[in-house]
Amino acid sequence: MNALISTAVFGIFLMISGLFIKSKQAIRILAISGVVAAFVLNIIDFRQYGASATELFHGMLSVTNFGLLFIEIILGCVLVYFLLSGKDLANIGHYTGEYFALIFFILCGVVLAATYGNMLMLFLSIEIMSIPQYILAGSDKHNLKSHEASLKYFLMGAFSTGFLLMGIALLYGATGSFDITTMNLAGRPIDAMALAGIILIAFALAFKVSAAPFHFWTPDVYDGAPTVVTSFISTIVKVGGFVAFIRLFHIAFGSPDVDKHWLLVLSIITAATLIIGNVTAVFQQSVKRMLAYSSISQAGFMLFAVIAMNVLSWQGILLYAAAYSLATIGCFAILMKMKDYTYDGYNGLAQKQPLLALMNTIFLFSLVGIPATAGFLAKYFVLSAAVEKGGLLWLVILAVCCAAISAFYYFRLIWAMYFKAGDCQVEEHAITPAFKSVLALTALLVIILGVWPGLILAWI
Amino acid sequence: MGIYHLLWLIPALPLLGFLILAIFGLKMPNRAIGIIGCASIGLAALLTIIIGINFLTSPPTGNFYQQTLWTWFSVHGFSPAISFYLDPVSLIFTFVVTFVSFLIHWYSTEYMRGDEGYPRFFAYMNLFVFSMLTLVLANNLLLLYLGWEGVGLCSFLLIGFWYKEQENCYAARKAFIVTRFGDTAMIIGLFLLVKNFNTLNIQDILTKAPSLWQPGATTAFWAAILLLGGALGKSAQLPLQTWLPDAMAGPTPVSALIHAATMVTAGVYLIARMHVLYELAPVVQLIVAIIGAATLLIAGFSALAQRDIKRVLAYSTISQIGYMFLALGVGAWSAAIFHFMIHAFFKGLLFLAAGAVILAMEEEHDMFKMGGLRKKMPVVFWTFLFGSGALAAIPIITAGFYSKDQILFFALASTKGSFWLWLCGFVGAFLTAIYTFRMVFVTFFGEQKKEVHRKPTNSIKIPLIILGILSLIAGFIEIPKAWGNFAPFSSLMNKVMPQVQLAAGMENKEVLLEVITGIIALLGVYLAWQFCLKSPKVLYNFKTTGLGRFIDKFFFKGFMFDQLYDIILVRPVVWLSKIDKRDFVDRIYEAIGNLGLLLNKIFSRTQNGYLRWYVCGLVLGMAVALTIILFV
Repeated sequence: MNALISTAVFGIFLMISGLFIKSKQAIRILAISGVVAAFVLNIIDFRQYGASATELFHGMLSVTNFGLLFIEIILGCVLVYFLLSGKDLANIGHYTGEYFALIFFILCGVVLAATYGNMLMLFLSIEIMSIPQYILAGSDKHNLKSHEASLKYFLMGAFSTGFLLMGIALLYGATGSFDITTMNLAGRPIDAMALAGIILIAFALAFKVSAAPFHFWTPDVYDGAPTVVTSFISTIVKVGGFVAFIRLFHIAFGSPDVDKHWLLVLSIITAATLIIGNVTAVFQQSVKRMLAYSSISQAGFMLFAVIAMNVLSWQGILLYAAAYSLATIGCFAILMKMKDYTYDGYNGLAQKQPLLALMNTIFLFSLVGIPATAGFLAKYFVLSAAVEKGGLLWLVILAVCCAAISAFYYFRLIWAMYFKAGDCQVEEHAITPAFKSVLALTALLVIILGVWPGLILAWI
Repeated sequence: MGIYHLLWLIPALPLLGFLILAIFGLKMPNRAIGIIGCASIGLAALLTIIIGINFLTSPPTGNFYQQTLWTWFSVHGFSPAISFYLDPVSLIFTFVVTFVSFLIHWYSTEYMRGDEGYPRFFAYMNLFVFSMLTLVLANNLLLLYLGWEGVGLCSFLLIGFWYKEQENCYAARKAFIVTRFGDTAMIIGLFLLVKNFNTLNIQDILTKAPSLWQPGATTAFWAAILLLGGALGKSAQLPLQTWLPDAMAGPTPVSALIHAATMVTAGVYLIARMHVLYELAPVVQLIVAIIGAATLLIAGFSALAQRDIKRVLAYSTISQIGYMFLALGVGAWSAAIFHFMIHAFFKGLLFLAAGAVILAMEEEHDMFKMGGLRKKMPVVFWTFLFGSGALAAIPIITAGFYSKDQILFFALASTKGSFWLWLCGFVGAFLTAIYTFRMVFVTFFGEQKKEVHRKPTNSIKIPLIILGILSLIAGFIEIPKAWGNFAPFSSLMNKVMPQVQLAAGMENKEVLLEVITGIIALLGVYLAWQFCLKSPKVLYNFKTTGLGRFIDKFFFKGFMFDQLYDIILVRPVVWLSKIDKRDFVDRIYEAIGNLGLLLNKIFSRTQNGYLRWYVCGLVLGMAVALTIILFV
């Protein structure tokens, strides 16, 4: 488990390094090399684990190649994030080392989420992911909205953690086990205690991935937190939540006589998430807030992977994690270079910064799901998974309609960039050739994944 | 196998050229742009020739080579592969596409000199060649469709290349919309094929189809006719031919490459590639033949009355593709592809030569304002003459004779042919000779009406000469059976395509037919000379009579198809949408929109910033869900 160790060690290392290293530049480079190191070390790990789970630490962790591949995707996305937005992260305030350290702790949580084999580890991973987020959301100390976001997120998060613990406790009461593989709910009648446990856990996780009706915190927090932090928590952390979600429900609650109990509730949650996310996003004026709602609606699509439960949904969530994270990180990186965060602030960007506008268009295409981008295949896989599962056709049709709605608010931005005359203000000095090239490579990756998903899927 | 592994490079090189030009084009000097634009195609052409020679000297087992690069995705057993398929048919198409494109790119370096859109032009052209090669090499209908739409996009972009003039934009839009009718039919056809075969792999479909469908089966009929719809749009055949004459608004090299030599024959390729389907649907195959025959006649008559040199060529292109469809319709697959190849040579040549004339005449398109250019532009004149000879199928010495007479023979002699189909082709051949040489005499003979403004340079002359030579000699690789047993082209094709079935007692009529068609072509040339050079008064007098004026206008407007479509399609739609502005259906959509607005308001109101409210929502959701799960 090189990834777990390296992210934890680097997190601690970076936290201390703030004491000795004063240069923000140096800390940023240190952090980037940390991610690269974790990336490489994780590849080395890859050979040792196969499709069937390997138990580590007395069953606390259960490692598969799926989990490692997921971690690899996450680390790749974090690398892109650091390269694109690392400077903005370093410049939130004075405590550069700590911001990066918190990111690494979150990564540590994501690694646990992809490999936990025990309910306690699930709880740990969710909390390790969450607590640094509360701090990061409030890291802009001179901004009242940032404080508000942090406090709201913390209170709501504490609430949902209560659900999670209660659910785990009830489930333990019903089965006498914390281990997700040996919990063995199948093959006997399910009592109300176990069911209530499952549902409470489902809700706690739905809260973490901002599914409706537990999404209320999302727009406020995403809008209030510093943009560079929003970029991170709406992508990496969200898909980290999803991997915890999908693993628990497939492994522990996945057998047909169990899933019939919770399938309807999760389907309704999915439908509500899709509708609320998309419909509310339509009339937003601020691009940042639009992206917050868009992250809710994309969560609706990712929920398909949870409820479908077959091979396609595993592949789908991998693709979705990469497609969604890359595109959203790219969109946020460009957003951070704008002085005005409203739609009108993008007017005429194509004239001023043709490359930025083009790349943004590619990212938005991917988020809508236009063929030949990664987003198309990701959506295609999760929806196909649901079709294969059967009985969910109404939900698939609803999702396709919602994707059509989403085209409206994504394309509105393209319209503003290309077809509206205007004098958008960008931070010219921050748009360096290096930034542009990383952005172009990210966009290229989005397209490559769209025509050659085997780049990821060949590994499992 | 060695060299075959490089097959993927043939489409990849133009793509690379496109990417370089699209990204860095604006910052590069024109010379570098020209070199990159030509080199990418030139290398692809060279590679094609090397692979082609390999293929001919030592054919791979089964006469095909398949290269699968990767599988796009694999869901429910449907796994479209990015895979190329080289067999004699796609080899010929690839060769013509790369080779002719290279010559036209070379020519364009001079033709487009001084145009502000220089990098854009070469970027589009390279993208076009990439798409066209994807189309012909695809082993999968999905990939083929990608190329198909790609060439459609490039055609649109290049017709409207000089977008500052509104007319050009209208022409581009027209081409796009008219072909869209066909493409829509085609994609429905693809859905039908997926539904029946659960694959879009062309070879799988072709091998499975005969066991799945009886000859004449209804599904086979629908699949074949829907694909035919796509082919009709792309190849500008009746009833979707109206876009091609207007497409001449683009730069002349574009007309040569896209709207004459390559893209418009994509329909021929599609039908030839899917020939098994058409043999299972004899009715559709008959329709193909009839459409071909009708189109070649209508376009031939229309060409007689045109004044714009490029429009004459455009109608002749429609007409010649009509011949190819006729050949496909009577099952003469090899003859259709042979005529495609020869046509690409001479029609590319004619357009390029016409372009040289247009350059010299300062963008003058009306050939009646040219005249007498024979002495001033000898190279252009002679090559144009060769091309015209091939187009008019002048016996023995031109390539067009061999390819067209083969089609005419099969139109009569094939079991699927008939006297009437032959007659249409025969009359068409007569018309072709007349309008072609009318064009030659009006443009290059008689008195000179305008000074030569820009003399052709070597980059213009050399491609013309190469194509001119090919227009003369390329026909010798397919000598009529009656003359001797030398037909390497059809024996190559017949390795993968079924041979044409001759009706009883037809074998020995070939010579007779050749003599007749040869005479009719020469007669056409004579008539053109008589009425255009010797005594133009006769024709002029006829045109001033009432009937003459009507016929002239009727032909000039291409049988009034535009006007017809305007009356039966455009105006009713506009009228209906005008009176039906606020109808019932509209209300529904408005209601959906309003519902969205209302929901948006409600949802936005829930987002009020109060934490207690949010927690309330959370708990409420929880309560509802627990109720559902525990008590329902």
